[in-house]
Amino acid sequence: MNKDLRFTLYAIKKNIQNSAELRGSFLMNIIGMAINNSAFILLWIFFVKSVGEIGGWTAADIVGLQGFSAISFGVVFSAFAGIRKLPDAVTSGAFDRFMLSPKNLLLRVSTSSFNPSAIGDIVFGIICLIVYGFMIHIGWLQSMLIVALIFIASIVFFAAAVTIFSMSFYFMDAYSVTSGFFDMFMTPALFDGGAFQGIMRFIFTFLIPSLLIGALPVEITKDISISKLVLVGVLAILWFLLSIKIFNKAIKKYESSNFMTFGN
Amino acid sequence: MKEIRLANKIVKTLVKDRMQYPGRLVLDTFSMIARCGVLLILYWYVFKLNNGLINGTTYIVVAWSMFFYFVFSIMRLREISRAIMQDVQTGNIEVLFCKPISYLKYKMLWQIGSGLYSFLFVAFFGTIILALMIGFPSTMAIGIFLPTLLLSFLGAIILSLILYSIVGLLAFWIEDINPIFWVVDKSVMILGGSYLPVALFPKFMYNLALYSPFGASQFITHTVYDSWKTDWLMLTGLQLFWIVVLGLAMYLIFLSARKKVSVNGG
Repeated sequence: MNKDLRFTLYAIKKNIQNSAELRGSFLMNIIGMAINNSAFILLWIFFVKSVGEIGGWTAADIVGLQGFSAISFGVVFSAFAGIRKLPDAVTSGAFDRFMLSPKNLLLRVSTSSFNPSAIGDIVFGIICLIVYGFMIHIGWLQSMLIVALIFIASIVFFAAAVTIFSMSFYFMDAYSVTSGFFDMFMTPALFDGGAFQGIMRFIFTFLIPSLLIGALPVEITKDISISKLVLVGVLAILWFLLSIKIFNKAIKKYESSNFMTFGN
Repeated sequence: MKEIRLANKIVKTLVKDRMQYPGRLVLDTFSMIARCGVLLILYWYVFKLNNGLINGTTYIVVAWSMFFYFVFSIMRLREISRAIMQDVQTGNIEVLFCKPISYLKYKMLWQIGSGLYSFLFVAFFGTIILALMIGFPSTMAIGIFLPTLLLSFLGAIILSLILYSIVGLLAFWIEDINPIFWVVDKSVMILGGSYLPVALFPKFMYNLALYSPFGASQFITHTVYDSWKTDWLMLTGLQLFWIVVLGLAMYLIFLSARKKVSVNGG
């Protein structure tokens, strides 16, 4: 376990150093992504202005929602960007080299790539949560809750990403299918959480964990709801364990079709 | 005539090619359900909470407007930016420049051809499903609707291709165009009326959507609104204006970009 953690940190460090070598592109990606994300804030603020509050959700909550979603997205797709490239690796046969590695396979795949633009998501997310904190006048307890919830949301995001991209092993056109699934997971995660009631809330909490990465963390922070925190925590652990199980089962379907991609 | 034959050949070949890969069709259908389907359900709930009327607009109109946006996005015209960047980064550009056909024209036709099959499939079945579920708004029953929809659709294709080609051509100067692409793409997404339909925009945003090229590239979403009856001529004129202005800008940028290419052979 310790060894795996050390390896993960080492791989992430090297990936960051590697990306930072192209400084101009690195910085432009970060700034560009932060600006890009601001679009969603604008959009939903106009939405709240036009439609009014839905389910008690205000413009401030939208800022919080974008903050949580952006940070969890950023953490997973910066440090563990390799998971997103799994469809390509499986289709091209590049997955062979991961299987030959003596390291933990999931960690080896996940940390095989780094996406600098996702750092922009993290920066954007942090700014959003600071603004959110000021807007709802949070106390110490809520600040600690936010930190804990970022961690939990990132675990859920990672678990969802592993589950979705593990589908690459089952389908011929892996990229197409996983992109569709990922859209289905991500789109509701960015929508005003107040609009999810009844059956929709159930589906996007328990069957597709979209609300666990943004909407529920916002509601927990706002209401200091311990019961919801426990629910999200338990679901995060379940999703994490389930995703590892799915990944391990899925890799058994892999058949090498290498196009001489060793070392890529 | 020769030009039309060539365009027809490229588009036809790509449509045939795409028919052999059902995976892409699955992706586009999934994408449509994931984005548009989920949004339509959520908006249905939002309209229910507001007694079926927001900003004087009904759910049925908003739903069709959003459907038009998402179905148009299936053509994937925006991918032309990254396709051009890839040609520049890989060096393919020097080979394509040597061909006896305009590079940009070829890229545009390629983009249209590669998205047409999925677009037609999803548009056809999506229209039937949506019509069965919520029906048609009265604005879609007026005589000018279909001809002006087609006109606006044609304008949207041309303007989108020009807009995203300009972004792609910037790859001749900056290696990674992604940050610029994101900004332009999000501007189109917001002002085009994707997640928030144009009818629900505040006044300032509505004007921005009307007079900017980003909003003009998605005027197809305006065709279902009541105002279309009176505004269609002005909106089509605006679209034409941006096509001419940005088309000229694209041409000048392209001329300048050509000078930056050094053919190394090999």
